[in-house]
Amino acid sequence: MARTITYREAINEALAQEMERDETVIVMGEDNAGGEGSPGEMDAWGGVLGVTKGLYHRFPGRVLDTPISESAFIGAAIGAATAGMRPVAELMFVDFMGVCFDQIYNQAAKFRYMFGGKAVTPVVIRTMYGAGLRAAAQHSQCLYPLFTHVPGLKVVLPATPYDAKGLMTQAIRDNDPVMFFEHKALYDLAGPVPEESYALPFGEANVMREGGDVTIVALGRMVHTSLEAAQQLAAAGVECEVIDLRTTSPLDEDTVLESVEGTGRLVVVDEANPRCSVATDISALVAQKAFGSLRAPVEMVTAPHTPVPFSNALEDIYIPDAQRIVNAVKLVAEWTR
Amino acid sequence: MSDAVVGVVANPLSGRDIRRLVTQASVFPTAEKANMIQRMLTAFGAVGVQRVLLSTDLGGISSAVFRAIERRRGQDGRWPEVEFLDGQPIRQTAQDTVDAVRRMVAAGAQMIVCLGGDGTARVTASAAGDVPMLALSTGTNNTFPAVREATVAGLAAGLVATGTVPADGVATRAKLLEARVGDRAETALIDVAVSTERHVGSRAVWDPATLTQLFCAFAEPDAIGLSSILGQLFPVSRRETHGVTARIAAGAAQQVLAPIAPGLVVPVGVSEIEPMQPGSVHSVGARAGVIAVDGERELTFEPGEQPTVQLRADGPLCVDVPAVLAASARLGLLRRPPMPGAQPGFPRTDRLGGAT
Amino acid sequence: MTGTVERRALTREQLLSVYRTMRAIREFEERVHAEFATGEIPGFVHLYAGEEASAVGVCSNLDDRDTIASTHRGHGHCIAKGVDVSEMMAEIYGRRTGSCHGKGGSMHIADLSKGMLGANGIVGGGPPLICGTALAAKLKGTGGVSVAFFGDGASNQGTTLESMNLASVWSLPAIFVAENNGYAETTSSTWSVASDNIADRAAGFGMPGVIVDGFDFFAVHEAASEAIARAREGGGPTLLEMKFTRYFGHFEGDQQTYRAGEVEHARAELDCLKRFADRVTETGELTQADLDVADAEVAATIDRAVDEAKAAPLPAEADLLTDVYVRY
Repeated sequence: MARTITYREAINEALAQEMERDETVIVMGEDNAGGEGSPGEMDAWGGVLGVTKGLYHRFPGRVLDTPISESAFIGAAIGAATAGMRPVAELMFVDFMGVCFDQIYNQAAKFRYMFGGKAVTPVVIRTMYGAGLRAAAQHSQCLYPLFTHVPGLKVVLPATPYDAKGLMTQAIRDNDPVMFFEHKALYDLAGPVPEESYALPFGEANVMREGGDVTIVALGRMVHTSLEAAQQLAAAGVECEVIDLRTTSPLDEDTVLESVEGTGRLVVVDEANPRCSVATDISALVAQKAFGSLRAPVEMVTAPHTPVPFSNALEDIYIPDAQRIVNAVKLVAEWTR
Repeated sequence: MSDAVVGVVANPLSGRDIRRLVTQASVFPTAEKANMIQRMLTAFGAVGVQRVLLSTDLGGISSAVFRAIERRRGQDGRWPEVEFLDGQPIRQTAQDTVDAVRRMVAAGAQMIVCLGGDGTARVTASAAGDVPMLALSTGTNNTFPAVREATVAGLAAGLVATGTVPADGVATRAKLLEARVGDRAETALIDVAVSTERHVGSRAVWDPATLTQLFCAFAEPDAIGLSSILGQLFPVSRRETHGVTARIAAGAAQQVLAPIAPGLVVPVGVSEIEPMQPGSVHSVGARAGVIAVDGERELTFEPGEQPTVQLRADGPLCVDVPAVLAASARLGLLRRPPMPGAQPGFPRTDRLGGAT
Repeated sequence: MTGTVERRALTREQLLSVYRTMRAIREFEERVHAEFATGEIPGFVHLYAGEEASAVGVCSNLDDRDTIASTHRGHGHCIAKGVDVSEMMAEIYGRRTGSCHGKGGSMHIADLSKGMLGANGIVGGGPPLICGTALAAKLKGTGGVSVAFFGDGASNQGTTLESMNLASVWSLPAIFVAENNGYAETTSSTWSVASDNIADRAAGFGMPGVIVDGFDFFAVHEAASEAIARAREGGGPTLLEMKFTRYFGHFEGDQQTYRAGEVEHARAELDCLKRFADRVTETGELTQADLDVADAEVAATIDRAVDEAKAAPLPAEADLLTDVYVRY
């Protein structure tokens, strides 16, 4: 039975249902409840943007607030995962990864391989990413390409409330370390979400819109911007196929290649900075494995190679918008040798 | 009037043993030890001490004092000249304290000040010979050293070192216990305890269940540490010539609650309490175990070794700080301008009750 | 507090066992030192010889419920926690039969089935992980404790400091063992550690800090016993600082020009195996003959481990791609 809830509520519901089902699931992070040691009430925030609200009282002893010590508590979540727990730790802003990255990419990601297959590290690290809230350079980055690059990590970026719940459920049940990226501008996005528990597999992209003229590959918030562009383009007679990658590691190569083999034209939309991004990754994939099908060069629509600016006027230009996607699609659609 | 030289030895390892873990023994920061020395230097300077010999350590005390001296250069020169006793390897054991004190004595120091607990005082006393000493508390068990503000202690030490206040009237010989196992011997200023522990291990004694026998040079009712066991049952002051000994057994008829370590008040069973006369040699009843001196395990013994404990009257000369400053008040030694006839190093006058 | 001596008293069998373990570490490291010089061992090794009393003094108080994390100088902790010596040697030689199937090497030897969370190539990498295993033990109510071994170098790393704070704030059954061997690579700990004693930092993180003579097995065993008991009883974390020295360089190949002769003195006067042997023969708990037999057995075990390692197969090409994920 599906009803309409927000992206935020969908993640909260996945957490609650998994915590109900499996007592080894614990939640930890800064202000994940909120109020620890303070004179007022506990669960004051339920996370800085309210994603974990209500879990503290519902699951006593399993929602842990932390000091501002990312390397310690992200490391602790990873250590606890090796010892039979299923921790869901929050790295509040992915921009903070610098202070705990070692525990993620050198420890969690490598245990299984380095220890000859003898370690299992079922940790989920939830983190907020993305621009649009005027949070400026150190609170607005994407950075998922850095994690996608690391063997041993899985990287998940839900675009819709339905995907958020299903992918979070899968992340918790998954036996590998998962980086779960939540776009801060999507928390209020509402959509249909089934009440019952369900898991969406990793490595399966979602074709959001079918079309035979141009393939648009997008992820995260850019999926919605791409759909907006596709609607505009349809009015102009260009039918776009919009693919939501859902997970960058593992990556659903087949869905992308199949689509490009049909359309011969590809636009990749990625909010991250352009160098060594998911955009370049998909472009190289297609150039290598679908070269014969391409009828135009690949177009990438990304943020510029700059930090995220603060001012409204500048941030709005920084973030790829529907118009830029429309322009890119027209470019490849009309391209001839 | 010769150069007044004071030796100061500070133990960087005092206050860091297992009693921090098994009881709530004090945490005494290195920074505070360094501050105490600096406060004493100010006091020494104020009463005319010319030179101070300072032990060196790897625990940060001497380096902090060194930095402070460097910072003071060019400012008012009220501190005495400080010579750091380096050049010898630092072993980070009690031997460092012994070596430092011996060098101070050889260099002609008129006073030795030590900073530490009972252990440091004991080790200092073993090397100080006839040089008067003053023990300041920075350790765990502080029965022997005084808890005294360092500046005031510095004034007292300086007044004695310069001869302004003659040592005779203000320093008394402490009693001493000597524990001997064959040709190995250790001295204690307060107590010797026989423990069933097999090894020296972490050194500290905190478990009454391991004790079988106790010897005390003195036992004050308000002491901390093992001597408090007898301090409640058979008090003996530092001034009395005798000591006291007893058997310890959990099931003994006479039980007493004693603060045997900071944060630790436990019932202890005591029997066969008897005084120790000066010079008397007592045998240790246990077959094997470890002998602890002033609360720290030091001498292991095996069956057949037959350890003994003797009370001696020839312990260190300990300076009585209140007595020094009371004398100073009576004689107006700190008045400015000084009272007529009151000069540093002047011989005893009738004011002290006797002609020279 | 009563019963502590009973808890700490070691039987004849236990004394023999800890001696054998310390001897195994010494033999293992001395042998790796010799073999490394032939060029047959790939990569880097960091040897623990001299520090045996710390690993064994602590780990002899642990059981199956307990976890340890180690450093790049991890062979001693592995052996003390019961990791198979032959598998370790094979791993160091990069063979398929190694503890990690040849994919980890000296710096990453681990055996989670024995509660050994791994040697770690990242300075300060262990303490946060140990906060995690301690948290798991606390939440599951196993009574287990977790021990983070780290060096004087790691004592200055943010991860270590954060972990001590977190362990106190969450009241975790964790023990932080700072193995202060005087050097972080070439840099003296008396220079790099601003408080001079690592134990002095404990008060700043809400836990007791104790300095222990790292050359004395009995001192380590006693202090560790108390810290572990405190942790098991819900008393929270403790910091133990071992003071000693390492007999070899930072890594094999280190010319050690930054040192000035303290190793000779330590080997002659302070050596933990020698002191242990002197002590137990003095009390009569063990005889020299007992110790000699143990020495011979250990030597044979290490010999066999080396021979087996040299003869063991290397990993196959297909092994390159396996075990990145449980399921991708």
